[in-house]
Amino acid sequence: MSSTLKPYLNAVRTTLDAAMCLGNFNSQVVERHIKPEVEVKTSKELLLTPAVIARNEKEKVLIEASYNSIRVSIAVKQADEIEEILCQKFMRFMMMRAENFVILRRKPMKGYDISFLITNFHTEQMLKNKLVDFVIHFMEEIDKEISEMKLSVNARARIVAEEFLKRF
Amino acid sequence: MAELHNFGVKPIPCHAWNQDRTQLALSPNNNDVNIYQKQATGWKLMHTLSEHTLQITGIDWAPKTNRIVTCGADRNAYVWQLNDGEWQQELVILRINRAATCVKWSPDEDKFAVGSSSRMISVCYFESENNWWVSKHIKKPLRSTVLSIDWHPNNILLVAGCCDYKAYIFSAYIKEINNKPGPTVWGKKMTFGYLMQEFSMPCYGWVHGVSFSKSGDRLAMVSHGSEVCVATGGSELVTLRTPHLPFLDCLWLTENSFVAAGHDCNPMLYTVDDACSSVTFCCKLDQASKGAGSGRAVSAMNMFKMMDKKGSVATGDNEPQTKHKNAILQVLKYSDDKFSTSGSDGNVIVWNVKSLESSIEEMKIV
Repeated sequence: MSSTLKPYLNAVRTTLDAAMCLGNFNSQVVERHIKPEVEVKTSKELLLTPAVIARNEKEKVLIEASYNSIRVSIAVKQADEIEEILCQKFMRFMMMRAENFVILRRKPMKGYDISFLITNFHTEQMLKNKLVDFVIHFMEEIDKEISEMKLSVNARARIVAEEFLKRF
Repeated sequence: MAELHNFGVKPIPCHAWNQDRTQLALSPNNNDVNIYQKQATGWKLMHTLSEHTLQITGIDWAPKTNRIVTCGADRNAYVWQLNDGEWQQELVILRINRAATCVKWSPDEDKFAVGSSSRMISVCYFESENNWWVSKHIKKPLRSTVLSIDWHPNNILLVAGCCDYKAYIFSAYIKEINNKPGPTVWGKKMTFGYLMQEFSMPCYGWVHGVSFSKSGDRLAMVSHGSEVCVATGGSELVTLRTPHLPFLDCLWLTENSFVAAGHDCNPMLYTVDDACSSVTFCCKLDQASKGAGSGRAVSAMNMFKMMDKKGSVATGDNEPQTKHKNAILQVLKYSDDKFSTSGSDGNVIVWNVKSLESSIEEMKIV
């Protein structure tokens, strides 16, 4: 199972490296404004072809790029109901604090669990290779975190049930 | 070999040199133009030109007449003249309704061209009767934002790289101020706004940089599809798909070699054969010194030190080894064998082609 992880992350890394070549772009549609073109999608020539990199049906990454912004949406592996609930709560926790993350989007794209919106202003302030490292690291850690949380939920449930049933 | 000049941490999207290269005008990604004077110990800020109300997108310094033209996202352009040690501005009515993206003086410095997000090029010249700058528009067949502009040495033709994946060669002949031009390899008819030739990028990439060679017979274009294209009048486009990240600007060094730089933070040399039928990659111009090999032995100790101090697990291999730490935004000619690059990392680097040629083995300027 983990033998597909490395090539999956490598594919995502190289695609992000290529797609994160962003530059400043003043809007063609509204004067004196700068908008992330991947979000407004008003000029088709400024959008690049979106790419989906899928490890299997459940785990995939959607990368949509444009002249000045890129949106990365991640679908996290959720094997059973507990993982689904944990994932949803964890992502919601992070998305509510999206300002602190800087590149996080407050709402995920449809069909995905979490989305990043990276603009040329972010690549100007931060090193591009570090941003790519961050996204890849995030993808690696999410699975581990959710498994850990699931184990601790199960452990707690077992202890609670034991204590409760001791009465009987 | 390469002199690095740092001007802060903000990106430098545009810069321009004066005639004797003692002064540098640049914009630190805001509404102002800073003019620095070269001193023995560094650069001293001499003037700040603040008239634009939004970010400045293009600066050009005319060497002979000593005028600076700046254009910005506020749809305006100003021509600045030095009077009594102060730079005075003159507003140019561009008549565009979106941001200006790039500006270039013509070789004879009697007019300049401004590319804009409103899908047109404004060619402006000074009308002495009314004492102001007048603009004429080139609109057809541009269908998207103009990203880059370069003039042909004959002062009449100009090339524009556009977001609609094409590069266009137009005539900017203004009968009030220009003499009738002779024919060139690009065509004979040269009324204002006439499309001489148009090139479509095979990979559908935005044309970030365009450059005419010194004779004007060759044209180089770099686009977002990681392609470098070369064309000469009347012939087909010659393309080379590169394995590098897209380039943002290009500059001819001689008639057969040009340098392209962009998101790889490394200027790269390309050569074109005499018949202009193929482009080949020559070498990267920013090669890490060979002394990095000896650093390997020390790096094991360094690695554990880093793990202790900063908690980082990987070695510092991800640090860019190039002189520019972020994308290179503009390449300009500095002198006959030097060129300058400005980048998103706040650095302006002047590269000496002759000394690079002697230090890099595979490099050959043809």
